[in-house]
Amino acid sequence: MPLSTNEKQARSVSPRLSLVKKKDRVTRLKEAVQAATPGICTERALLWTEYFKDKANRTKHVYVQMAEALAHSQNNRSIAIHPGELIVGNYTSRRVGGLMFPELHGLVVMQDLFKFPTRETNPLEISRLNQVRLLSIAPFWATRMLAVKTCDSWLDAFSLVLNQLMGNYYIINEAAGISHIAPDYETLCRLGTDGIKAQASKLQKQSLMDADKWYFYESVKIAAEGLAAFGERYAQLAAEMGENELDEGRAAELKAVAEVCSRVPRKGAKTFREALQCCFFAQIAINNESLDNSVCPGRMDHYLYPYYEKDLKTGLLTREEAKELVGAFSVKMSEIVPVFSKYITRTHGGFFNGQIVNVGGTDKNGEDSTNELTMIFLEVMDELRMRQPNYTARVHKNSPKEYLDKVYGILSKGANSPSIYNDEVIVPVLKQNGVKIGDARNYTPVGCVEPVAQGVSFSSTDAALFNTAIILELALNQGRRLGRFAQIGAKTKPASQMTCIEDVQEAFEIQMFHGINRLLKDLQAIEIANAEHHPTPLSSMLLDGCLENGACSTRGGTRYNFSGIQCVGLVDVGDSLAAIKQAVFEDKKLSMEELVGHLKNNLSDDRWRHYLLNMPKFGNDDPFADIWTAYALDVFKAALDGKTSTRGGKYTVGVYSVTLHEYWGTVVSALPNGRRNGESLSNGMSPSNGQDRKGPTAVLNSMNRIDYSKTDNGVNFNIKFDANTVGSPAGCIAMKSIFSTYFKRGGMQAQINVLDPKVLIEARDNPEAYPHLLVRVSGYSAYFNDLTPAMKEEMIRRTSMGL
Amino acid sequence: MAILFDIQRFCIHDGPGVRTTLFFKGCPLRCQWCQNPESQNPKPEIAFYQEKCVGCFECLEACPHEAIVSLPDRRIDRGKCDACGLCAEVCTQDALRLVGKDWDAESLVEEIAADRDFFLDSGGGLTLSGGEPLLQGDFLLEFLSLAKSEGIHTNLETCGMAGYEVLSSLTSLLDLVYFDLKLMDSQEHAKYTGASNARILSNFSLLAGEFPAVQARMPVIPGVNDSAENIFQTAAFLRHNNKNSIHLLPYHNLGQSKLTRLDAGAEPFYIRDIPEDYLIRAREAFEKEDVHAIVYE
Ligand code: SF4
Ligand code: SF4
Repeated sequence: MPLSTNEKQARSVSPRLSLVKKKDRVTRLKEAVQAATPGICTERALLWTEYFKDKANRTKHVYVQMAEALAHSQNNRSIAIHPGELIVGNYTSRRVGGLMFPELHGLVVMQDLFKFPTRETNPLEISRLNQVRLLSIAPFWATRMLAVKTCDSWLDAFSLVLNQLMGNYYIINEAAGISHIAPDYETLCRLGTDGIKAQASKLQKQSLMDADKWYFYESVKIAAEGLAAFGERYAQLAAEMGENELDEGRAAELKAVAEVCSRVPRKGAKTFREALQCCFFAQIAINNESLDNSVCPGRMDHYLYPYYEKDLKTGLLTREEAKELVGAFSVKMSEIVPVFSKYITRTHGGFFNGQIVNVGGTDKNGEDSTNELTMIFLEVMDELRMRQPNYTARVHKNSPKEYLDKVYGILSKGANSPSIYNDEVIVPVLKQNGVKIGDARNYTPVGCVEPVAQGVSFSSTDAALFNTAIILELALNQGRRLGRFAQIGAKTKPASQMTCIEDVQEAFEIQMFHGINRLLKDLQAIEIANAEHHPTPLSSMLLDGCLENGACSTRGGTRYNFSGIQCVGLVDVGDSLAAIKQAVFEDKKLSMEELVGHLKNNLSDDRWRHYLLNMPKFGNDDPFADIWTAYALDVFKAALDGKTSTRGGKYTVGVYSVTLHEYWGTVVSALPNGRRNGESLSNGMSPSNGQDRKGPTAVLNSMNRIDYSKTDNGVNFNIKFDANTVGSPAGCIAMKSIFSTYFKRGGMQAQINVLDPKVLIEARDNPEAYPHLLVRVSGYSAYFNDLTPAMKEEMIRRTSMGL
Repeated sequence: MAILFDIQRFCIHDGPGVRTTLFFKGCPLRCQWCQNPESQNPKPEIAFYQEKCVGCFECLEACPHEAIVSLPDRRIDRGKCDACGLCAEVCTQDALRLVGKDWDAESLVEEIAADRDFFLDSGGGLTLSGGEPLLQGDFLLEFLSLAKSEGIHTNLETCGMAGYEVLSSLTSLLDLVYFDLKLMDSQEHAKYTGASNARILSNFSLLAGEFPAVQARMPVIPGVNDSAENIFQTAAFLRHNNKNSIHLLPYHNLGQSKLTRLDAGAEPFYIRDIPEDYLIRAREAFEKEDVHAIVYE
């Protein structure tokens, strides 16, 4: 096959490129990103406002508004190409920056506007001028933000958003936009935006009679064109910079950058490098469209492999060069940070955007799909150890030994990434939810841990998080918080009349259904608001089904629709029920009334607290305890079963808590498991802090008592090992072995931390000494220094297992 | 019935694969460097964690034998205490802990079989450790028979101080024996461990003659048994018994902090300056004598 001009160009550039200071390029890029002070970029907010201030724009169809507003902001904001970059593009106007979404949750975030630069956790730089600018747009959005569309006044809306993002009973993340997608980058790389635009044009001609459809296609065309133009801005910039560049080598690099950007994303990618660049432009644009959270490139080792293979074959690329490009791409993904207020940070700590890149797994036919690119991604992940992307690895019964050795080898050395996902459980779970087998096999985790069929599913996996522990509190006190009078939940039996464990269960079940129904009512109002007022044409054009159906993903256009609801505090509830059964109804050490009395006093009597802490606990291979956690999960699931979202999808069950277990731990009263108010709830599916006393094999036995076909939105199971135990070759083999057993027996997920607790204590006391210590928190990586003081304490306190 | 002071799952240094290690209570030797002083006494006892105690004296009320004392570093009058464990039950700080629990063979096998899946995948199993498991030989016979019928790989860690007939009666139920050789000079051995090594060495030779899977091990105690002389003699002894490898175990001072918890009265044994390379030097000395030495981390 004759080479295209571009390939010839790339060929002529590549050899020289490899001579120019190539050795440390990725390290230098990483250092530059880590040295940059994170700050707030106001450009998107201001340009978005500019667009909507124009009355003519406000009369357009909402689809068109969204597509035009995004294109307007993307193509008028500042851009830059930094020294040494091969993959280019900026999420924001800063090297490391966060976006403001005034039309979504931006106004609520602005409660911290003047505190951002000086606050203790995750300070964000912002100039006086920009603070004033943001303030000046607030009145405009006060009457137009998304939540207002579900409320009567902007004050109500403000408190609604605030409540939804930091509520005590549940948190509705959709109030800040939806996202949480794994876009179809495979198709984008193949067709380019022009190809997608052509499809939209064709379909548009067939839908003259349906205004909504017609405008949807119109908006897709605008979004596609906007994305193409965004790439071309970089082509132009690179060309200009190249002309003025004195360093000959760098000038050649810039010329190559210009070549690449003049092709993608408009045209289909021809090379590995073009494909990576194409994905990154789309990644930026989608983050700018709606909530900048959990936009996941997903299975990059899978869909980029054909490009890699071809380039290698034609001699266009070496493995080393490919690795450098992957490294450059990976570093770029750390250039975005979320802009949260202090309150929102309490519930979403860790300074994290949840962009998942996944490796491993199978192809659509179920054949193992690991390849050389898988290994390259793993190496890059291990060598960089940066906050983003959030790397995950799929395993299945035929995963090759070489791959598994690499994954566990990296983990045993303390990389704390990737987290591991079991195809043998997840693919059937997706199938059971109606996802076709080929699509199910093409899943990637999204956000924290949620399995999503890539490119074909709008799974809104983090739609809401639900405080299950507070449901038990309500159940023990007739639907009221302990020590409070307001009737929050349903009226159920007082503790004094509970004469058997079934009475407790009945109250718990009633409160659960009551609470979930309340959540769904609020959530559905927000679903509708998103569909009507904040559609996302760009995301939708990269989710299969939307074009065919002529409908946005926010309106159920995608092939598959789900909404994930997270069960937080599950294990605390399970352990509490086990303690009630044992202490009250079997050993008869105290009455229900006395127990509730102690809880009201926050278990101030140490003897009772100690007694309750010694009751059976999940995570110790004790079926008596474990069945109660399984039971609590059943009740949660039953409350959601049969309910349908306004997008026509099922509500799925997730068991992860981001950092909410910490915050809700300060909300929920003392519980019968011996936990006092203020102490953290259990983290996702992991045993309660410090309550797993028999080591990792016992924990895994307990974990294997859970039926993961019920947790269709994923679980987060955090397990921590001491570096001294598993750092050795024998330790690594042992660790690999127990997890392969866990997965063989139906385990769903594991996030393995190998930490020396001493390191964390040092890092807490001397943050300067460990500026970039990477730890895993609830399904994602974060820098230790980015955690709130309470989260740091939790990381330190958690049992160091394996000794 | 047997008395154990601990059961640890996911052990990876006590034989191949993932193992559950059983720590039997009671030992015929009194090695000065003992890392597990709670293993020596064959009876249950109460350990006192001074740093955890908050001085509430709930324990005082709970004790039926007036055995609670209020000295700063002591809570138990060992003369009066019968280790009933009531004080440990009420101590909310876990500052008092009952060390030593009775097990019957069946429950113990059941406890261990919980990790069978992990044993199978990793090639692991159970390890008898202590203390000296052979002190409870009758129990072992019953217990190991049950464990074997469950298909569990078995390893014995022994100091070798027992009647040979006990050891011999178990060989058909054992897959592996880790046999400690501490010091070759009999007087030195008696000085540091309280007993001569004559029986230990003869047991080793007898066992090596009839049971191939014996692995020699040596806890390397700097300044005690890492002399060129002792290593030379150990190597010669091994070669004489047709053995050509040894596992070298590192020393650390952690065991000593446990002594005061038990009021064990033993002279604290503390090595101030542990040379960084003592294990490597020991390994090299063995290798020079044609004995393959594997260093444990
Ligand atoms: S009960 Fe425990 S904490 Fe209280 S005095 Fe006794 S040993 Fe100390
Ligand atoms: S173990 Fe029993 S006898 Fe000994 S101090 Fe405790 S309560 Fe008293």
